[in-house]
Amino acid sequence: MALIDAKNLYIGYENEAVIKNANFKINPKDFVFLTGISGSGKTTIIKSIYGEVPVIKGSLNVGGIELNKIKKSKLSYLRKYLGVVFQDYKLIPEWTILKNVMLPMLISGIDKQTAENEAIKLLSRVKLSHKLDRYPKELSGGEQQRAAIARAIIHEPVMILADEPISGLDEYSANLVMELFIMANREKDITVMIASHSIPHTFNINYRQIHLEKGHLYELS
Amino acid sequence: MNSLKSHFALILALISILISIFLFRIFNNILHQYQQNILHNYSIVIVSEKKISNINIKEIAKIEPINISTQLNAMKSKFKNINLSSVKMPYFYKLKLKTLPSPNKLNEIEGVLKSFPYIKRVLTYRSSQTKIYNLLMLLKTTTSLFMAIIAVLGFLLILKQLEVWKLEHNERMYIMELFGAPFWFRGAALFKIAFIDSLMALFVTFICLIYIQNSLLYKTILQDLNITLNINLLNEFGILATVSVCISIFSSIVVVSGRKI
Repeated sequence: MALIDAKNLYIGYENEAVIKNANFKINPKDFVFLTGISGSGKTTIIKSIYGEVPVIKGSLNVGGIELNKIKKSKLSYLRKYLGVVFQDYKLIPEWTILKNVMLPMLISGIDKQTAENEAIKLLSRVKLSHKLDRYPKELSGGEQQRAAIARAIIHEPVMILADEPISGLDEYSANLVMELFIMANREKDITVMIASHSIPHTFNINYRQIHLEKGHLYELS
Repeated sequence: MNSLKSHFALILALISILISIFLFRIFNNILHQYQQNILHNYSIVIVSEKKISNINIKEIAKIEPINISTQLNAMKSKFKNINLSSVKMPYFYKLKLKTLPSPNKLNEIEGVLKSFPYIKRVLTYRSSQTKIYNLLMLLKTTTSLFMAIIAVLGFLLILKQLEVWKLEHNERMYIMELFGAPFWFRGAALFKIAFIDSLMALFVTFICLIYIQNSLLYKTILQDLNITLNINLLNEFGILATVSVCISIFSSIVVVSGRKI
């Protein structure tokens, strides 16, 4: 059974469709790149999967939940099984990096000590163990993005959605970030969907590419 | 500094609301006691041709016969040429009321009493009673209005504070929403702040109230009015604590639920 199943899908803002008549399926453990130029609708698709952009027409089924009829309580439930990485990181500014990474586990009701231990382990893996007590504004863009990815995978979600996770990062940070996604996909069988302008040259993994152009989707590989 | 200011805004608003509620209750209590004192000394006098043991008017608490033997003896000595024992004397009664009546109510009672054929005269002492009643009502209305204005100003301050809170906590709550945080989790920090602020406001208010209650001026005024105020501090504390916590938690719920998922 597909993890995401979109049929004749129209999504957008205020009834103006950005994505028109899209049909696609994402299967468990898939590693998918969503490519296209700026404004092609990559972010809109990512946002619609976690319920921030409404479905105008058609069907979008995520993990068995139909998003065009979803209630608030069900949306919160769905989001607990997703790990989202945002282009602007969206770390809570008044919380330390450690606490930010702990967030999804705390939301899932896992006790503070376990969440803290897991967050420390993961932050060490993303090479931020020396910055646990720092606040987001004290970190570089690459460091904030790594912390955001640690936060997205700490609760071992079913799927990671990443919106332009490496744009604006230096090569070192970009490679590190991509390695984290690969690690999540290979070691933890997490489905990964990355919205990006292009696919990194050094990328070495089987992946699917869905290309977006003028609101329409094309499967390229 | 901003955070401190935001705390003070809520605490100040809560204190003004709590003090206005408490003072409203105290004034009501004082006025009620004063009304009871007046009521204790007030009665309607009726003159009846026959003995009365009961009158079917719900406002009347009891009927007391007036002993006129002293006045009768005085009359006997004054009018020696008249044989008063041959004159059939009417019966005099004092009617005690359950509550201090308004002038309209007094008219109504007078009308009903006069409708009984055996009641020949009704003395209500309307003029002095009306003055006292109107004065009490004026006091009651003025204090109620004043307290209501203070409470409304307090609520306006809280509404203003809600806007500030929305801006302060919006980003964190939005990020939490994106990760599927339930309502109580998103609002936890805000609920905590609101609860602490409500306790602080309650503490400050209560200190003020104890000071007022023990102040010499307050005691002297009550003594002069012959009023013994019956205030249960524990009871008052319970009421104010409930109001304080409810308002602050309600405000934070408004802020948290104001965010769209």
